[in-house]
Amino acid sequence: MITFTTAAILAIACWSLGAIVSIFARRTPALKLPAFLLAFGGSVVMIAFIAFYWSILDRPPLRTLGETRLWYAALIPLVGFLVEYRWKIDWLKYYCMALASFFLVINLLHPEVFDKTLMPALQSPWFIPHVVVYLVGYVLLAASSVTALHNVSLQLRSKANVTGESVSHYLALLGFVFLSFGLIFGALWAKEAWGHYWTWDPKETWAFLSWLAYLGYLHAYRYNIERSKLQWYLALSFVVLLVCWFGVNYLPSAQNSVHTYTQS
Amino acid sequence: MVVARRRWFQTPWDFRESILFTAAALCAGFLFEFASSGSSIALPRLPVNAIILSLFAVLVLSIGYSFRNNHIVKWFGGIPLGLCLIFAIALLSLIGGIVPQEAGSSGSLASQAGVNHIFSSWPFALTVILFLANLGLSLSWKLIPFKVQNLQFILFHAGFWIALSCAIFGSADLQRLVVPIEEGKANNFGYTMESDTPQHLPFSVFLHEFSLEEYPPQLLLYDPHTDKLLMDKSQTILEVRKGTTASWKGLDVVVLDYIPFALPGKDGLPHPADRSTGIPYAKVRISADSTQREAWISTGSPMLKPGAAALGNLYLIMVPGTPKSFRSAVTIQDGKGDDVMANLEVNKPVNFKDWKLYQMGYDEKAGRWSKLSLIEVIRDPWLPAVYLGFFMIMAGNILFFWNGIKRTEGASS
Ligand code: HEM
Repeated sequence: MITFTTAAILAIACWSLGAIVSIFARRTPALKLPAFLLAFGGSVVMIAFIAFYWSILDRPPLRTLGETRLWYAALIPLVGFLVEYRWKIDWLKYYCMALASFFLVINLLHPEVFDKTLMPALQSPWFIPHVVVYLVGYVLLAASSVTALHNVSLQLRSKANVTGESVSHYLALLGFVFLSFGLIFGALWAKEAWGHYWTWDPKETWAFLSWLAYLGYLHAYRYNIERSKLQWYLALSFVVLLVCWFGVNYLPSAQNSVHTYTQS
Repeated sequence: MVVARRRWFQTPWDFRESILFTAAALCAGFLFEFASSGSSIALPRLPVNAIILSLFAVLVLSIGYSFRNNHIVKWFGGIPLGLCLIFAIALLSLIGGIVPQEAGSSGSLASQAGVNHIFSSWPFALTVILFLANLGLSLSWKLIPFKVQNLQFILFHAGFWIALSCAIFGSADLQRLVVPIEEGKANNFGYTMESDTPQHLPFSVFLHEFSLEEYPPQLLLYDPHTDKLLMDKSQTILEVRKGTTASWKGLDVVVLDYIPFALPGKDGLPHPADRSTGIPYAKVRISADSTQREAWISTGSPMLKPGAAALGNLYLIMVPGTPKSFRSAVTIQDGKGDDVMANLEVNKPVNFKDWKLYQMGYDEKAGRWSKLSLIEVIRDPWLPAVYLGFFMIMAGNILFFWNGIKRTEGASS
């Protein structure tokens, strides 16, 4: 995989340069467009790489944790750009690009075993919708947690920040929608592939837990619990997501899981 | 907050009472579990479970509707208790997500407290019942009188109510049996995961043929001293075909020729053969330190020893690829003379009457040569109700997404 190293370094370079130019663009508005194009270019590089990788693998690169990190790296910055475009909040994209670079660095440090095979249970029309919907959900919730964390830090410095709180809320809301679809698609697929829609497999249990965490958030929000307290909640919910996402493989319960990601 | 100055149980009840109530329910659940020494709860089957569930639904809805101004009922169907119960379910799931869930083992402290079968334990059952009551009450107030603006709420909450209650009450009627069948034979007995006693099926399955397709074999270097397989430099699972190259430290290998199905002839060289008996052969050129040699290697089969190329202390070997797909050609037949011919494959189950048949496994030691197929047959009469719940939640989800975006546009303009 010579090309992954090149693509990853190129993408990280684009994001870093884009971030630096953006900082200058605060003073010099003429730099805004070049800054955006550079940063956006990083994601374009990753998307092109995913397309290329997909074509040489002859299967969607969604099978291993490393492969899913490619998607996060491509998609997370896009959420940052969307939030900037939609709510004129410009700091989220820095966190998003840093997170994306972090994912690529993990992949650079732990090169994937290049494996074209796809086990029969994964050869299903549900495979792509299920995983992609989950990816998008996690990406939105990651952005929501980052926003909430930033809000918490503003609170601690007692700065007012109403837009920030509504951004973390809407990202959580959209993330919840995708999580719900992912959960149900997973159940419908499991019925076709494994015979039952729900078996309390550790991965399913943790997916359900993450969903409950955001369900709890939405109801607390509805019950008019103070927004500022809920920022803590949102920031911490991401811990549950992370366990669900990477951590399940290391838990004692994973010994009898049918679908932890292949550890290669 | 106002809550701080409120006395305990002063109306209207709020979070404090909800937390206390939920904690009490969890404690009671665990006490029950201990008292019954960790045996799983046995649920009644159809039609009793359906009758109980309907009565429960009617009871909850009518209490909600008749006592909608009673403050205790209001609290019982309110968000604070709902949130506490969501946390209780999350807590129990957390236990289930960390402690390995194993059926059967008993006697240990973990099994007496129910933590190794948490999803069929008393604390879980009790929490779910309270959750359904709470959710049902909140529904009763939004269902009657019906308003279109409540549609999203109704789809989400009623969908979840239906899916959860039918999945749990219906689990007693779920039948999952494994049917082992040998090629050329029929079987009408199945085994459950829990017991060795075969159970009679209302139909029989005849296996015409089991077939398995593999991915191309892989080239690997084997170290017999450490019993380790070494991957080549590129960290690639090398699929063997003509022209494949691989390199290890000081060692280069090229595949000169590849025959996917071959058998050794009298001259000792492989000759193309039928796919049912042949095995993959590859002719490789091995270059190490300025010396070069060529050799035939093969993966082996139950009838043939694998052929490896010795390289000092190491062996260059070819291992069979992982299974790409496997299927069983079967005829399913019931006593009334109805029959169906079908191909069962992973992810492609086949329906027969109330049953669904799945390709589950085969004799893994024999691999491609397996003459045995494991078919799983499943009957789940409650599935349509659970799916109705799923589709309602998805419909609610679409409305939620749509309204979320619309409100966002309102907020930013
Ligand atoms: C524990 C029992 C539950 C209770 C008592 C409850 C109660 C409520 C109430 C009173 C609302 C506000 C509705 C409105 O203002 O129109 C609400 C909103 C909502 N509920 Fe529930 N609910 C429960 C469980 C659930 C479950 C299991 C789901 C998911 C399937 C769910 C999904 C939602 C959603 C998506 C909203 C909208 C949130 C928003 O508009 O921000 N709820 N719930």
